[in-house]
Amino acid sequence: MIEYNEGEANEVPDRSEFGVKVIGVGGAGANVLDRMALEGSDDAELLTLNTDVRALSTSVSSDKIQLGTTLLKGMGTGGDPSLGKQAALEAVDDIREAVRGYKMIFVCVGLGGGTGSGAAPEVCRVAREEGIFLVVFATLPFSFEGQRRMDQAMDALNTIGRYANAVIAFDNDRMGELIVPKDGVTQAFAAADKIISQSIRATMNVAFRPGIIRIGIDDLLSALDATDSRCLFGYGVAKGDNRSHEAVEQALKCPLLDRGKLLNDANAVLVQVAGGETMTLYEVQMVMEEVTKHVGSETQILFGTGTDKRLSNSLSVTIISSIVGPNAEAQQVVEAVEPEEPPVSLGMLAAPIPPLAAAAPEYQEEVAEESVLPEFALPEEPVAEAYGETVVTEGIIEGAVEETYEAEVDSDAGSAVFEPIDEEQPAYAPQEIAGEEDSIFDEDDDGDVLNPIARAMGGDDELTMPIQPPVPAADEEGEVGHVEAVTETSQKITLTRMLSKGNTGRIKTRDAKTDPGPGPALPPTKPPGLADELDIEETSDEARRQQEMLQLEPVAGKGRFAKTDPTIVDGEDLDVPTFLRKKD
Amino acid sequence: MASSNIYVGLEIGTSKVCIVVGEVRNDGAIKILGVGQHPSAGVRKGEVVDSETVQTCLHDALMRAEERSDVEVNTVFLAVTGSHIQSINNRGTIRVADEQMEINSEDLEEVKKIARDVPLPKENGYIHSIIQHYFVDGQDKVLNPLGMLGQKLEADYHIVHGVKTRIQNAIKCVREVPLEVEDIVFSPVAAAQVVLNREAKNEGALLIDIGGGTTDYICFVDGAVVASGCVAVGGDHITNDIALVLKIPLARAEKLKVTHGSASMKNVIDAEIAVEGEAGKKVSQEMLNGIMNARVTELLSVVAEPLKQQGLLDKLGKGIFLTGGSSLMNGIGDLAEDIFGIPVQKAGSSSMSGPSALFENPQYATPVGLIRYAQLLDEQKPKKGALSKLGQKFEKIFGGGK
Repeated sequence: MIEYNEGEANEVPDRSEFGVKVIGVGGAGANVLDRMALEGSDDAELLTLNTDVRALSTSVSSDKIQLGTTLLKGMGTGGDPSLGKQAALEAVDDIREAVRGYKMIFVCVGLGGGTGSGAAPEVCRVAREEGIFLVVFATLPFSFEGQRRMDQAMDALNTIGRYANAVIAFDNDRMGELIVPKDGVTQAFAAADKIISQSIRATMNVAFRPGIIRIGIDDLLSALDATDSRCLFGYGVAKGDNRSHEAVEQALKCPLLDRGKLLNDANAVLVQVAGGETMTLYEVQMVMEEVTKHVGSETQILFGTGTDKRLSNSLSVTIISSIVGPNAEAQQVVEAVEPEEPPVSLGMLAAPIPPLAAAAPEYQEEVAEESVLPEFALPEEPVAEAYGETVVTEGIIEGAVEETYEAEVDSDAGSAVFEPIDEEQPAYAPQEIAGEEDSIFDEDDDGDVLNPIARAMGGDDELTMPIQPPVPAADEEGEVGHVEAVTETSQKITLTRMLSKGNTGRIKTRDAKTDPGPGPALPPTKPPGLADELDIEETSDEARRQQEMLQLEPVAGKGRFAKTDPTIVDGEDLDVPTFLRKKD
Repeated sequence: MASSNIYVGLEIGTSKVCIVVGEVRNDGAIKILGVGQHPSAGVRKGEVVDSETVQTCLHDALMRAEERSDVEVNTVFLAVTGSHIQSINNRGTIRVADEQMEINSEDLEEVKKIARDVPLPKENGYIHSIIQHYFVDGQDKVLNPLGMLGQKLEADYHIVHGVKTRIQNAIKCVREVPLEVEDIVFSPVAAAQVVLNREAKNEGALLIDIGGGTTDYICFVDGAVVASGCVAVGGDHITNDIALVLKIPLARAEKLKVTHGSASMKNVIDAEIAVEGEAGKKVSQEMLNGIMNARVTELLSVVAEPLKQQGLLDKLGKGIFLTGGSSLMNGIGDLAEDIFGIPVQKAGSSSMSGPSALFENPQYATPVGLIRYAQLLDEQKPKKGALSKLGQKFEKIFGGGK
């Protein structure tokens, strides 16, 4: 492990000038911090933030802040990011106090759950407001944790990306590749934590290690090139005769580098080679040669080297870089939802589309989103206005305010997503879905109420007729505690970001439970005015007709291939006799 | 060389399961020791859909092959195909270390690793990665860059990949017989080993293997594989078309196709053909040919289109080789010539000894090709070992000097 050596006095930057704090948010974040503490972290202060007081008490870090003391009373968030956010807001002053005065802050967080996804963006916001250089290490959930958690994670990641100077996202699925599947669960997670703690440490070392050829934060920044980028990170340390080669191999094997292949596309690559006093120039040269093999000729190589007594006879290689453009995973997630959606990068700073797209699968059949749709083309002021009234349904602010940033593009994408739903869903959605689904969707029902009205007014077809929906909504449900809306009104942008991130459905859920009146009861009362029974019959009829088509036609046309996978080329089903197809 | 140079090729086709036991002689010629085959069931479009039925057929074919060749078969080379199999060309690039100068075998390994590293769909796995050629400092088409001087090494690879689970199903089916699968080979890659000779590969050739359930193709230019693929349409479709259009049972449609049918619309005699077993039912030759012609035209066009787009058709000096059971169809050669605009020849496998007359039949191109493939694979192994040893030796000498 590389450690920064305090004894090395000559060019050591004063710690007070480069105050570094590492903040772990949520359970996963705390684990990483514990791992760092275990490995002996003497060069940074550790701060753990968590909602769960039991988890917090077992943490070994020096500073701890409990989130949501009154809201959650020491319990976890139960996987609800909006609760995580509320909890963080409650402790916002403590957080601000804790980060103030530091030059650099590392936040490590496991996204997907409640505390991590909810609170981390808040922490980042606070840190950003304090003008601190912010690097976020985030882990994305395993794919087996389900789409919903992944959506929450992507949501949070987008928000974080806007505040942080650099986001380094670790995909847990890819971490898995490093670990033997048979390894114990503890080992597996420990390995993941270890990678992250190594990364944090390495980044710190890169920035603060005294060097023969020094690398500073400026180099780090240019390597990370913070706009719309995805971080590449590799770290390796090795001992022995062949240490330079092994260290490079190890660094390239890091899951984010994809065996060095991704470096080819990088604009700038930062490489730091560090070793004990035994490190030779030849070894440094070897390392650089190996690295350059993987780097395009255009790429700028930011090179640094330094000696560190603590490394004694081992040698470490750190590679940090970033590539522009879409991240494969993120793209997949988005594509799975909505193929027409433009590709989205993982560490993005400026791609607010995914929250919407990510929300789509859950709410696709929900008309609530549709009712949000009309606002897409909203100009700035009506929003602000609506915003002033804290009584407005949260779901609506969410869509509305967010969309004001990215102009028309999104209104296109949005309409592409939801257009088909316009046709028939509104009529039965409130009845069927509100009835049988759990109350997660209650909030959507509230939104739904608007819809018939908007429809009746013909507002449904026109994206440019936005203002009507929010107004009736204001009366529907105002009692939900939007504390943050009041306290933070001054910071319009940041606040709306928070709002757009939090999954507001859940909060309402609780309300609905305590007060069953407005939620499920309301929607059915409205649609009858629209003759919903008729509509329902219509849709089911249509469904029946489609089924028949599906079953009958291929059987008739394909003979022995009726039950095989269809062979479709250029939209033609090749299993149907060409003779028959061409004759038509 | 390995103690045993007897190889077994297994093709589980849509129409037949075929096992070929072959012995590779010292001079490189292949002697076919025995063949076992059995009409296939439980295979659709080149893929196993009913494992148990396939195993019964496989077992039967295996018994025959063992009996005739007097060889106990333990491991086989398995040909795989199916519409899920796709191919791409990818180029890997590395920069050779400045003071190293000569390209060594490690560089080759590394460039291969990089070239292979294409983003496949999650469910897909590699079947082959075939080297096309290297570039050294942009210099064209270097076949063996080992020991050359240069700073930039690039390698073009042709990568064949398919859905892992579907391939595994085929392997699992064979293992349960039980037979060990030594390697899997994409069918046209195997067939090309016997159908196309070195000359044809160098001058450019397209091999189209029209089987029962699938049509596989592979295209060689300058001795390297430039395209390969599979269309899940084959002879079965033609039979199916005839049955559906004429409303007759499949068995009679098959018979019509084989005895009377032609894919060509040229010189159609004006005659009525009586459908056997269906009293009084007659079909005109023109109708029958029309059905077959429409299907084959479409099929060949589907194969031709991507190749045309890549501009490969102009580079085929040796033209097109048709193989597979359906290539026995009358008139298919003429039709293919019309569609591709290139000379077409029907091909079986050549340069075999043993009961070879049988194997000139294009139906056996793939299983026999498997044996040739196995032979090549074996030849490459010790060769490669020796070279890398040599490379290491050099490295030692030079490395010590530093």
